[in-house]
Amino acid sequence: MKLKVIIGSIIIVAFVVFGAVSFMNSNVEYTDFAKAEKLGKKVQVKGAWLRDKESQFDAKTGQFIFYMKDDNNKQVRVVLEGGKPNNFEIATSIVAKGRYKDGAFYASEVLTKCPSKYEGDASAVKKTL
Amino acid sequence: MIGSIIVKIAFSASLLSTILYFLNHRRFSKRILQLARIAYGTAVISIIAIAVSLIYILMTHQFQFSYVWNYSSTDLPGPLLFSTFYAGQEGSFTLWSLYTAVIGAVLLRYSARKGYESEFMSIFSLMLTFLVLMLIVKNPFAYIWDVFPKDLIHTGQVPAVAGNFVWLDRAKGIWAQYPLEGRGLNPLLQNYWMVIHPPVLFLGFTSMSIPFAYAVAGMLKRDYVSWIRVSTPWTVFGAMVLGTGIVLGGYWAYETLGWGGYWGWDPVENSSLVPWLVCVASIHTMLSQRRSGSFIKTNFVLSMLCYILVLYSTFLTRSGVLGETSVHSFAEPGMWVYWMLLLLIVVFAAIGFGLFFMRRKEMPKVPVEHSFFSREFALFLGASALVFTSLFVVIGTSSPIITSIWKNKISAVDTTYYVTTVLPLAIVIALLSGLGQLLWWRNSDTGSLLRSLRVPIALAVVMSGIAYAAGAHNSAMVVFIFAASFSLFTNLFVGYRIVKGNPKMAGGAIAHIGIALMFLGFVASAKYDTKETLSLEQGKAVTALGYKMTYLGYRPAERGRFAFDVEVEKGGKQFIVSPVMFNGRDNEGMIRNPDIINLLTKDFYVSPLSLDVPDASEGKEVTLYKGKEQNVDGMKIEYINYNFSTSPEFGNVVKVNLDVVHGGNKERITPTMHNNRGQVQFLPASLSHSNIQINIKSVRPSQANDNNSTVTIAIVDPNAAPQQKKNDVLVVEATIKPYINLVWLGTFIVIGGFLITIARRRGEARRDEVVSE
Repeated sequence: MKLKVIIGSIIIVAFVVFGAVSFMNSNVEYTDFAKAEKLGKKVQVKGAWLRDKESQFDAKTGQFIFYMKDDNNKQVRVVLEGGKPNNFEIATSIVAKGRYKDGAFYASEVLTKCPSKYEGDASAVKKTL
Repeated sequence: MIGSIIVKIAFSASLLSTILYFLNHRRFSKRILQLARIAYGTAVISIIAIAVSLIYILMTHQFQFSYVWNYSSTDLPGPLLFSTFYAGQEGSFTLWSLYTAVIGAVLLRYSARKGYESEFMSIFSLMLTFLVLMLIVKNPFAYIWDVFPKDLIHTGQVPAVAGNFVWLDRAKGIWAQYPLEGRGLNPLLQNYWMVIHPPVLFLGFTSMSIPFAYAVAGMLKRDYVSWIRVSTPWTVFGAMVLGTGIVLGGYWAYETLGWGGYWGWDPVENSSLVPWLVCVASIHTMLSQRRSGSFIKTNFVLSMLCYILVLYSTFLTRSGVLGETSVHSFAEPGMWVYWMLLLLIVVFAAIGFGLFFMRRKEMPKVPVEHSFFSREFALFLGASALVFTSLFVVIGTSSPIITSIWKNKISAVDTTYYVTTVLPLAIVIALLSGLGQLLWWRNSDTGSLLRSLRVPIALAVVMSGIAYAAGAHNSAMVVFIFAASFSLFTNLFVGYRIVKGNPKMAGGAIAHIGIALMFLGFVASAKYDTKETLSLEQGKAVTALGYKMTYLGYRPAERGRFAFDVEVEKGGKQFIVSPVMFNGRDNEGMIRNPDIINLLTKDFYVSPLSLDVPDASEGKEVTLYKGKEQNVDGMKIEYINYNFSTSPEFGNVVKVNLDVVHGGNKERITPTMHNNRGQVQFLPASLSHSNIQINIKSVRPSQANDNNSTVTIAIVDPNAAPQQKKNDVLVVEATIKPYINLVWLGTFIVIGGFLITIARRRGEARRDEVVSE
């Protein structure tokens, strides 16, 4: 019995430590481009797509390239692994997850925040009268 | 409205039923019991009436109700219109209440036969009371003019153009306008899965309240042992339905939403997985309690956690706390819902764990008498691994809350967190689900254990070797494949032996076979998929991933959507995949649905990204000033004017009138441009005596001086410069998902295993019924 309790406790402690370390490591911090450049690790940056700068999908590399500015108005070229994200054109803001490297932000994922349907939308009710 | 009144009746009746049943528990009285049953029956009937009324106003498009306006529209086909019943918060709480009420009615008789009616029903009625209270807070029958009083309520004369209106107070001349059309259902949800998935998932969520109610009932009755015999069949039922709901959701995401996979570790998915894991853990510890009498406290705690975790999930996904970190972010529900959901957790956790704390000393202690090599110990370890898995998932999912308290900054964990933490536990679970089947209760004979391990281990080594040869070089994956194959073969042998003896007992082995197959399917399809983004020029074959693909063209599909046909060829076999893209309404953006070729050993998954239409700028561009004739290539062209209109079909329509003199003929031509929410379309105009075409490039009216207004046109003369017309290019992401069928096959087998277990445990529960009616 005693032996089982000891083994059990060791396993539990090991798992808790393992879980906590994984949690800390994978908690992707929200930050801006300046800090992302300094950190060099995977972060997420919130900002907006710069519509008037070039944005294109490179079929050869399978990358979607565009420019975005963060909340401090720093403009950076973003290289996204994959095609143009869903709802990219209508997004009010975007969040890019990735790393800053050699003057560009290499994103593994870009989330788009759309102007969501909210319940007290008076202009929407007027449209349907 | 009558609906709002019925909601209040349902609330009062279920509250009354709670009180009466509780009184009856304190002191039995036949009259009170009868009254309690009547009260509960009234609650059930009222809730059915609420659901029927809500469905009725949705099916008949009564847009004077805010809910109907918010979630439905007249263009939805019948089944989807029906599904708007649970598309919003109010409706989904109605569905939850309906399920709770009906399950309670079924379990009333079941519990009565087991002598559990008063205790079980008092707690179940309380759950129902709180759900109906949600409907008072978020009334599904709220009128739209109460939501928008400033915009919709008017006084005085009703103008002729008012559309739908209703008098609120004729004497005072107060009237309200209401919409002719609704905002419609989110296009992502407009799919037959919307009809199937949510009802199953909600039934699963509701079923999680059953083990909680029986655990509390057991403590109220001071029955710490035999309540699990009453509860087990329903716990297994809940695990089966919730599990089915989760997989259906995954399949929906995979097949239509185009997330590329069936599981994205999204908070909404996670929060249905967590109660399921705990529920499955409790099935295992209950099994152990049946055999050895141990795990009494664990079973109370786990059974109660099933429901508390469902409430916590609901809180996470419905209260808005996750903010921007979830793709499922629901509309901001308002503070009331937030506090109500929090209250729900606090109340039921307090009742359950408070009672547990009070009674814990009374609970019998059974000394543990088993060795390391016993089935009890394997069950204990397996259940612990399941609980740890759910703990890791719940912590990851709660990350926005944890980081907002701890760092005052909301952030979510990356999905790699879940893979890192869950994978080792999944390996442990797979190994134990095989090993546990070979162990005996209390103690096993080491010699015979080793003998029975030989063949499954050998086969699992062979499987891992094959996987390694096929390209699985990641060591963690090889270990996982080994563990899952070991579980698969062990359970196949054990299951075969059991089926030969007594097939009714084979539920566990069969469910484990299914889980092992799913594990193998997860590794193959999620870790070893191959993906490529391709640009397919119309009519030109592109070879990728071993397939020859040719984009054939697009065609209109149902309800304003477009299907993009791609021919896929391999080894002489031809398939057509038709992924779909269309523009959602208002600001919903582009919606993309993938298409799949389901082959025996793999899926070929084609997800559309975009269609690039070559620029219509071919031809010679000329800018014309209004009213000034200009000579171009032997033609005289004059820009007369333009007119602008909007049409529901084409959006904004710009028509430009030009007078053209060509070869002695003077004529008026009108090239046109449509701009339908950013989808621009050009309709060129041709000259009648030649095949020269004129297209609009841009129109720039000048407010200050009309004579400065210009239009830029493009003149396309096919005879002048024979230009190669460029083809459309469809950009897709093609993925090969090997052995994904194992995931679905495994799911069916698990469901089969659960069904056999339910039948067995129901039979056992029936045998020890007490006659109290």
